Amino acid sequence: MTFKFTAAATAIALFASGAVWADSNIIFRFNDPESEAMRAALDEFEVENPDISVELQSFAWSEARQQFLREAAVGEGPDVVHIAFVWPRDLGTAGALYPLNEFWEEAPLQAGYDDFIASNLAIGADGGIYGVPWTTDTWAMLYRTDIMEDAGITAPAKNWDELRDISRTIHEETGKIGFGFPAGSGVQSTIWFLANYYWWSNGSALVKADGDGFDVGITEAQIAEAMEYFDSYMKEGHNPQSMLGVTDWYDPAIIEGMTNGDQGVAIVPPQQAREIIAAYEKRHPGEEAPFISAMVPAGSEASSTHLGGRMLGINSNSDEPEAAWKLIEFLTRPEIIAKYYGNQFPAQQTPLAQIDFGATMSGFAEQLAVARTWGAYSDGPAQIGSMWNETGRMFGSAFIGERSYDEAAEELLNTVKDMLDK
Amino acid sequence: MNVEAHDRRFIVLMLAPIFLFLVFFYGYPTALNLYYSLTDLSLLGMKEGGTYVGLEHYADLLTSKDFYRTLWNTLFWLTGVSVVIRLVLGLGLALLLNSATLKRYRLTTISRLLLLVPWATPPIVAVVVWRWLLDGRQGMINKFLMNIGVIDEPVAFLANVNTVWPALITIIVWNTLPLVTLTFLAGLQSVPDELHEAAEMDGAGPIHRFFHVTLPHLMPSIVIMGLLLVFWTFNNFIYVWLATGAGPGLFTNVLATDIYIKGFVDFHLGYSSAVGMVMAGIMAIFGVIYFRLVALREFKDVL
Repeated sequence: MTFKFTAAATAIALFASGAVWADSNIIFRFNDPESEAMRAALDEFEVENPDISVELQSFAWSEARQQFLREAAVGEGPDVVHIAFVWPRDLGTAGALYPLNEFWEEAPLQAGYDDFIASNLAIGADGGIYGVPWTTDTWAMLYRTDIMEDAGITAPAKNWDELRDISRTIHEETGKIGFGFPAGSGVQSTIWFLANYYWWSNGSALVKADGDGFDVGITEAQIAEAMEYFDSYMKEGHNPQSMLGVTDWYDPAIIEGMTNGDQGVAIVPPQQAREIIAAYEKRHPGEEAPFISAMVPAGSEASSTHLGGRMLGINSNSDEPEAAWKLIEFLTRPEIIAKYYGNQFPAQQTPLAQIDFGATMSGFAEQLAVARTWGAYSDGPAQIGSMWNETGRMFGSAFIGERSYDEAAEELLNTVKDMLDK
Repeated sequence: MNVEAHDRRFIVLMLAPIFLFLVFFYGYPTALNLYYSLTDLSLLGMKEGGTYVGLEHYADLLTSKDFYRTLWNTLFWLTGVSVVIRLVLGLGLALLLNSATLKRYRLTTISRLLLLVPWATPPIVAVVVWRWLLDGRQGMINKFLMNIGVIDEPVAFLANVNTVWPALITIIVWNTLPLVTLTFLAGLQSVPDELHEAAEMDGAGPIHRFFHVTLPHLMPSIVIMGLLLVFWTFNNFIYVWLATGAGPGLFTNVLATDIYIKGFVDFHLGYSSAVGMVMAGIMAIFGVIYFRLVALREFKDVL
């Protein structure tokens, strides 16, 4: 009797999980916070594909790349992986991702390969296609209009000097944080993006194509200038010293500071902007959220930010690549992105052109129009992740006075040169 | 064959499984790590393996200024300062918990229970809680210090080079002090009362009795606890990584975090393995000290 009961209960549990009845069981590793909504999307996929069961794994971006590499090296890991735009090339070359060329030929996705944004970033050194662009974004400035008004500021900054003036004025006039940005040097630090935006808008770049090869596209003086510029925010006190301990753009210090009005300006990707605005609206029901987005400042040349985003890839160890491709087809449908992953924009030109960003988010639309890909950074032999981390460390070292701006700039430049020479 | 030889053979036979276990689970990984340290293995190239580069990583390591600063951070700040503070505070707290005053006011039990709270807190929870307490914008400690007028502006304890090490050591001490205290408390309770009474009859005051009766009796516990704390702390990764991520900059980088950064942030597994081997070498020195001071004596007693 006990045995029969146990067997029946086990059968019911397995039936409820659905796993035992599916022909294919695959694992999808997802690194953004919207895991609940993503689970709902996967449920819809399972209804549409009753022969495939999908397990959702939630993970953190900061550890995602190295964890997947470790797993893939020993024949493990999820079937479908959520990866950054700049990862497929390295992961594909490392043999961790499954080449998707055949799938693209046999069952192209949505409006076709050419409609996908930044698909060139998915091509490995061997010509294999190792990722499908899923969502895209770029960063823009987010301002608290009420704090700007209190400080007597009438318009967002057009250039970097104006941004510092606005930040200083907010602090002097209201006692609040002006432009609060994470200045920490931890893994995948935010300062990497700020430094590059500053360099690009001033006509330089850490890496440039040089004939058939690659070289550094910046001088020590230009690196040191950027370090000094961003350090001045901490030195003048309008970005607090505590930001030296903050690395991530999605750190609660930034989200909360902008939401509760302790901070006047931030630089964020669209999902964080929406998160801040939603948090404000939840706390102040019925009130209009006092935010505007605007373009990142220009330098001696026009404003420039990176075309970022996420791709989906298939683990080279997957036993179910066909089922994984079906899942990718489902997840890249614009209507599914809009329904379950609404903080992101689809990385496809046709649906992207049809999105109404609204007045508050219009700065992101303007910025997206001028955003650039990582180009030579990702095409060259230096891994973006390594340059990213070294940049964070050297900026951090200069910010705390461990190295002078010139010493830190020299070390960063030499390290990048070494990476490009290898 | 005499009885002693038979006993020795029996002991060796009984120890053989654990010896094989150690060879398989410690010897083999160590040898593999040594091999990796002589290659340019990258996390991106694990499938094809690394190329042999000889002692290149060791040469780079030993000529790098950053390595010596990391070594200093590990030996002085993380290990030296934190171990000494824990030994001194642990002894002081143990004396307090063992004092007649606490017994008189019936506070002994509650004090010992309270002491267990930090110890029962997992390190990850302890670090997260302390990060919030020490936060430079919303932290309770900043608010408290500003309310009582000690500081005018918030201090970013974990981001300021003047405060980051004391703050880190505070977290480590808070979380691990109870074990030290309880060990010393057990030692104190084993000091025979007759010794104190005899010393008192000979005219020794409390300070004299502490230095000439209590402390000599506790010395074996202090030595063992000191060495164990060195082992645990020198190897520790979690406190520094979770509290500061080795920053600001690389100001609080220690050998354990350096291994992680080189291996899993920069993907240079070969170089990271070399750092690991150097770290293992330093630990071996501590191991020899421990063996000579403690284990050898016990080993001889057994044999």
